[in-house]
Amino acid sequence: MSYKSLRIVPDRCTGCMQCELACSWVQTGTFQPSRSVIRVHVFDEQASYAPYTCFQCKEAWCMSACPVNAITIHRDTGAKVVLEATCVGCSLCAIACPFGTIFWDPVKHKAFKCNLCGGDPACAKACPTAAILYEEMETPDWVEPWASKVTERLVLVQGAPGSPSGAL
Amino acid sequence: MPTRHMVVGGGPAGIFAIETIREVDPGASITLVSDEPPYSRMVLPYHIAGQIPEAHVYTGDTAYWERLGVTAVTGRRVTAIEPDRGRLVVSDGSSVPFDELLLATGSSPVQPDIPGARGERVYNLWTLADAQRTLRVLDRVNGRVIGGVNGGRKARVVFIGAGFIGFIVLNALAKIGCALEVVELEGQILPRMLDPEAAGLGRRWLETRGIGVHTGVRAVEIGDADGGKTVRLSSGATLRSELVVMAIGVRPNVDLARSAGLRVDHGIVVDHHLRTSTGHVYAAGDCAQGPDLSTGGLAVHAIQPTAVEHGRVAGANMAGRPTRYAGSLSMNILDVVGLQCASFGLWRGDGRETTVVTNPGRPVYRKLVWEGDRVVGAILLGPAEDVALLNDLGMVKGLIQTQVSLGPWARELKANPMDVRRAFVAAGTPAALLDRTLLGRRLDAQRYRFEDRVPQHAAERAAQVLEQIKLDPTRGKGGGTREASNVVPD
Repeated sequence: MSYKSLRIVPDRCTGCMQCELACSWVQTGTFQPSRSVIRVHVFDEQASYAPYTCFQCKEAWCMSACPVNAITIHRDTGAKVVLEATCVGCSLCAIACPFGTIFWDPVKHKAFKCNLCGGDPACAKACPTAAILYEEMETPDWVEPWASKVTERLVLVQGAPGSPSGAL
Repeated sequence: MPTRHMVVGGGPAGIFAIETIREVDPGASITLVSDEPPYSRMVLPYHIAGQIPEAHVYTGDTAYWERLGVTAVTGRRVTAIEPDRGRLVVSDGSSVPFDELLLATGSSPVQPDIPGARGERVYNLWTLADAQRTLRVLDRVNGRVIGGVNGGRKARVVFIGAGFIGFIVLNALAKIGCALEVVELEGQILPRMLDPEAAGLGRRWLETRGIGVHTGVRAVEIGDADGGKTVRLSSGATLRSELVVMAIGVRPNVDLARSAGLRVDHGIVVDHHLRTSTGHVYAAGDCAQGPDLSTGGLAVHAIQPTAVEHGRVAGANMAGRPTRYAGSLSMNILDVVGLQCASFGLWRGDGRETTVVTNPGRPVYRKLVWEGDRVVGAILLGPAEDVALLNDLGMVKGLIQTQVSLGPWARELKANPMDVRRAFVAAGTPAALLDRTLLGRRLDAQRYRFEDRVPQHAAERAAQVLEQIKLDPTRGKGGGTREASNVVPD
């Protein structure tokens, strides 16, 4: 079965952070980017921005690491969902997930992650530049093509005389 | 005739093996023999702290075994395995035949050989039975302990051993208000998880919270006095308490394997398919010494994530789906009374290039260990509320697990080890991970466990978002359509 996935188009992202605000509002009821489960990675020196959140990966490292089965797969969306009442906050999922997309809520002392807002992701709705799309497709790897470009540009920056990086 | 699978031990390795066998081979016969009821040892401290009821710690019940089609024999031990004859002997004298056998016998606390170590109110806090006993004692000793008041005084507990297991229990007892002291033979706390500098920050964190730390000393005798316990130290000092917790370490349960002539080193030696030295016999979890992802050698990694991975890979192989395991990654995370400590892989460094950031006042400590442009180990320490710390944990694990070459990003990350996120993403680490699965296929919903549940509130709040963060309808083309004005052509 194929589910919709969040597809991110970094080249369209302006770094406005509306996704983080929308996410924290839906997930926690506060406008608090530090409790958002989508984070914009900022490459200001290249004027490049990469929103980043859970890929809902095939392996679900978080789900098998959980000692109390507090993470399960949502029937309708395929999202890996933390059952808050079951989670004890041990953080094993946070060290097991190699994508770095499991968070630990400093208020509730529980794990939390992207649950695709139950099938209506707030980040995609809030993005004013259509840099975050919610489409039917296999787990998309949007990182690779973009990563190659920023890495090429970094090499140029590092090689430039007088640049902060170049001076290292 | 269906293949007869036998699993010894109902911890996470055994349970995940059973689930995987059932997924791969719906017709297989599966028997579990376990001396304890299946529960999650990892969460016992949360039960001790009163955060979860006892029911929450169990991982299997009758209905679960029925759904899985497992014959579960609990409360009995396996006394011998006879791989040549394809059978094992249970403590009630019965013998049970098998075609494929998994040893998931776990580990047991090391008992120090000091006078009084087996006395009253000296506990390991390793099993559910230990936890139940401790709660009863705390209840009695502690003046109806909730709140930790003992005749106007906090109930006192002395820990012998300042390792991972000691601290996870210590953290629970701190939450219910006990007065705590820790005794450690080595010169620092958490010697198998933190380097001396990080351990020093941890020690100060404990001391400023009123927890006594005694390192470089040996407990030489445990006695009874004035209705409580005494712990005499090699320094000559004597500590007094109501309870003593023994936590000097655990060792793999290898007796069954050794008696049957299987190859045993620190643990039961297994290959990349979790096979022991004897045909049709597998081992998984705390009792197994298997491939180490970081060193390429063999190691016992007595941690929950390794138990789960071992169990799944062993289960797939037993059920006839050949599956190679790359190896387990040594990793630990621990909340030390609000200080989050984590370490991964080759965190000791051992002469490799390291980059360290430290802010002792906060305190924050981060160490990355390098081989060229790859991160091979790390220590992260900081206050639990430090969201940034935890946000990086997974990425650091991802870098170590994938061994991604960071290329030019290595220089950036070495210059600023706190900026893991940019290097992680820009080096394309997610691409290296996306198709990587333990069993070479998508992990299905755990059919035999919970019904999927819809996260409450999320759907309703999502519906409100556009109202709350309303886009200016004049901004995009066509007034409010999703088409944006600054879209770069793909």
